[in-house]
Amino acid sequence: MNVLKVSRWTIAAFILPCLIVYVGLVFIPILVSLYSGLLDWNGIGQSTFVGFDNYVRMLTNDSVFWPSLRRTFTLAGFSMLVQVPVALLVAILITRFVRRPNFLVSSYFLPVILSVAIIGQLWKTIYNPASMGGMINGILTSIGLESWTHSWLTEPNVAIYAIILVSLWQYLGYHILIQFTGIQNIPDEIYEAAKIDGADGFKADRYITLPMVLPILKISIVLSFIGSLQSFDLIMVMTGGGPAHATEVLASHMYNMSFLTMKYGYGSAIANVLITICLITTVLINFLFNRVDKRYS
Amino acid sequence: MTQRKMKWFGLAMTSILAVSLSACGGGGSAATNASGGGASAEPTGGDGSKSAENVTITFQNIFPDASDPKNKMLKKIVAQYESENQNVKIELDTLNTDQQKLKLKTQAASKEVPDITVVNPAAQMQPFVDADLFAPLNDMVEENGLKDTFQSGLLDYYTFDGNLYALPDGNNIGVVYYNKKLMEEGGVEVPTTFEEMIEAVKTLKSKGIQPMVIGEKDSWTGSFLFMNILLRTNDGPGFLQDVMDGKKTFEDPAYVEAIAAFQELVQAGAFQDGATSFDYNAGENLFKTGKAAMYYMGSWATGGIETAEVSKDGNVGVFQFPTVNGKGDPDEFMLAPGSAFAISKDSEHLEETKDFLNYFMLKFPQEAFDVKGAVGIAQNVEGDFKAAGYSDMAMDVLDLFEKVKGGDLAFDNTMNPGTTQAHLSGTQSLFVEQKDPAAVAKEQQAAYEDNK
Repeated sequence: MNVLKVSRWTIAAFILPCLIVYVGLVFIPILVSLYSGLLDWNGIGQSTFVGFDNYVRMLTNDSVFWPSLRRTFTLAGFSMLVQVPVALLVAILITRFVRRPNFLVSSYFLPVILSVAIIGQLWKTIYNPASMGGMINGILTSIGLESWTHSWLTEPNVAIYAIILVSLWQYLGYHILIQFTGIQNIPDEIYEAAKIDGADGFKADRYITLPMVLPILKISIVLSFIGSLQSFDLIMVMTGGGPAHATEVLASHMYNMSFLTMKYGYGSAIANVLITICLITTVLINFLFNRVDKRYS
Repeated sequence: MTQRKMKWFGLAMTSILAVSLSACGGGGSAATNASGGGASAEPTGGDGSKSAENVTITFQNIFPDASDPKNKMLKKIVAQYESENQNVKIELDTLNTDQQKLKLKTQAASKEVPDITVVNPAAQMQPFVDADLFAPLNDMVEENGLKDTFQSGLLDYYTFDGNLYALPDGNNIGVVYYNKKLMEEGGVEVPTTFEEMIEAVKTLKSKGIQPMVIGEKDSWTGSFLFMNILLRTNDGPGFLQDVMDGKKTFEDPAYVEAIAAFQELVQAGAFQDGATSFDYNAGENLFKTGKAAMYYMGSWATGGIETAEVSKDGNVGVFQFPTVNGKGDPDEFMLAPGSAFAISKDSEHLEETKDFLNYFMLKFPQEAFDVKGAVGIAQNVEGDFKAAGYSDMAMDVLDLFEKVKGGDLAFDNTMNPGTTQAHLSGTQSLFVEQKDPAAVAKEQQAAYEDNK
């Protein structure tokens, strides 16, 4: 077990700083928020202990909570089931057909390093009505599909998908980069051996690339899932959760409750639910992948 | 081999979980983080300054825009004070409005309010007053005759149980700005009734002119307009107060009628497409760039519109919000007593801070007048506006101030935050779908009872 032959104390000494920071910045705040989730508190004045009232209210009597939970999962689902597979496909194609892939991968990665505020403003202009110079509606009108035009960010049924698209677009490059690197790390010898055995092209992808990139894929999926569970900034910039809560997700609902409605305790309760969901899904994804892993190893 | 690999991936997963969880818990940890952030805003000269020799006062303010005259004015007065009082250093903590609101709330949660901060009137500052965070300014405002410089009655909005807690920098009213050229092109007159306004909207719309604009992503904008309609349908001010006193409910006919009228305006196509994705500035910019005929806003917008391109050759006029269904008095306005400066009760240098704020507010009107920022300030200004080069539109706005016979405060200045948020999103929803006014009113009443 102890391959490095150093004492346990040395190991402890090296781990300690990180552990302290981790506990201080993650565990203690979570504990504090667990506690404040039990309070009726506006964040400033006196607080009263109300037990699980906040949670009862959230689950039974909050017309915004369930829809925003549903939207949160829609977003997570899209990014897991659309974004990651597309990224994988692009990564495979790049590896296979592009001789100098670095430029392409960097270009795909570009939106990731742009600030969300910029991305949001950019796409708001793209989504604008044609009369305000919106690109999408402009194109639709010019090719005679006027009936397809929408005011993308303000129609309650459409707005959330418009935002999801932007978020998928922004982080696509991130997942391409991760998976591209994963594919690059697969030794060439394996492909050469497979070629001799007659497995070439997409057959090789199916039986070699996919299983071997699986661990990386898992990271990608967990990242995309958790990332979308806590998506917040893009929504704040583009719609602020509106119109009338139509694009509210859990994180923005939490923010609104804590800081605009000044129900800090209630906001904390929502935060705790979000933490719990993050935890459960991470464990769940890990569990599923372990089973898939076993099948292939 | 695979076993070893698994271990590494396990490790990677754990660290990723760690990172994501820390971000996940971000909301919950805001209060704890804030205590760190708040500490830096504390007066830094605290240690060696007990002798009142060297004093540092932290002045949180919301004039971040360096091109805004108020920003220059602020720096000028501070520099003057510092040169007259060599031992005092004023440290500016300049933020934009939303940042400041958030920062103050987090600072308040850890009882680390800066020496001077900014609050909004009435119901919005109530929680801070209840938490006993501010020092009463009753004695300070009497010094050097500061109290008499304020418009009469205005300080009431900042007074709780006979104690004055903040001094406002502005006092505004809701008015309608209009683009004379576009109105002429559309062949419409300045409306004197709400019905005429609807007709004007339809006419302008049919001629391809954008009738009105609004920045409804920041939902207070729509609410402000709505409240002006309510001020008319209720045939006078005080509706929200009556609700709070239990004399009326939100299902009162006046409220329902106001929703119906507001909806009629929206359905007539008054506002730009996608209004709910325009924030306040973006909405106002449409008017400033001459893309819309009318714009309802508080008179604080005067300065910005005046200097915009649309105002060339006196192209922008201003009118009072008209009567609705023949009800109400146009001389009653939406009143918007401005944000105000409050002093932390726990300030280490309470006396010096009071002295500085007194100095600052005494200088404020004249300095604001000089930089042409004196339309809609809280204090009486001596000076000839016309001669000082204020525009005709600014003069018109000043004339409207003369007409004010009373009015209502904005919703969020009257009701608690919970009820307010329900109202704001209810109003916002009227922009995107047609609703039964009675149902909207009923929801509002439910939200009110829920948050009582």
